[in-house]
Amino acid sequence: MTTEQWIELFRAIGLDDKMMNKWHEEFEKKYPQEHQRFLEWLNVPSEKINRIRQKASA
Amino acid sequence: MLIVGRVNMYTISEVAKRFQISRSTLLYYESIGLLVSSSRTPSNYRLYSEEDVQHMEQINMYRQSGMALKEIRKLLTSNQQAFVSLLEKQLQNLNKEIQKLRYQQQVIINLLRNNSKLTETRVMDKKTWIALLEATGLDDEAKGKWHRQFEKMAPEAHQDFLESLGISPQEIEQIRKWSTENDIKENLEDR
Repeated sequence: MTTEQWIELFRAIGLDDKMMNKWHEEFEKKYPQEHQRFLEWLNVPSEKINRIRQKASA
Repeated sequence: MLIVGRVNMYTISEVAKRFQISRSTLLYYESIGLLVSSSRTPSNYRLYSEEDVQHMEQINMYRQSGMALKEIRKLLTSNQQAFVSLLEKQLQNLNKEIQKLRYQQQVIINLLRNNSKLTETRVMDKKTWIALLEATGLDDEAKGKWHRQFEKMAPEAHQDFLESLGISPQEIEQIRKWSTENDIKENLEDR
């Protein structure tokens, strides 16, 4: 599973960029640890993970 | 230690012991001209002077930098400029070696990461995952479509992901079967 596939999957079910941002925000707010582990599972580089999580909690 | 005249002299065993190397290493150093004992006893045993020992100390120090004996021999007779350039070369070699090791480390990390099932890390459970999807604004129809797309796109990752949510094997089988069948149905209806 790659990040691109995951995004494709979300787009296929009708999630737009705004909803995906919301998804990250919810994920970060409710389950920060799980958010981290999920992004690791997608092999997202650690620097990018930090950026995503920062953006989501801003 | 022998005292010959006023000069301290050391036997090969004493030098070997002092630097924690074998006698044969010292003999080898002599054979390649790296360290030659400056004198012999009347019965032809090697004797190392204080100066020889200092020489050995230098060799020992350079050995600790990981340099080859050939390079060390050059170092011992080099001028300042050559000395610096030899050491810089070794530093470069070490940097390359470290880079290679870092790369190997990364390859292993990636292999382990890909290999370890999400199950082992247990991202979250089914309930929290659904709550998250709903908070994002997904309805039941979207959730169904998500399974179908997931199954179509990456069946193994789908399995892996469902396992990570702690869903039972039977339910996973049902979900995946449902996903495949409904995807076919949908495609037929589209025609």
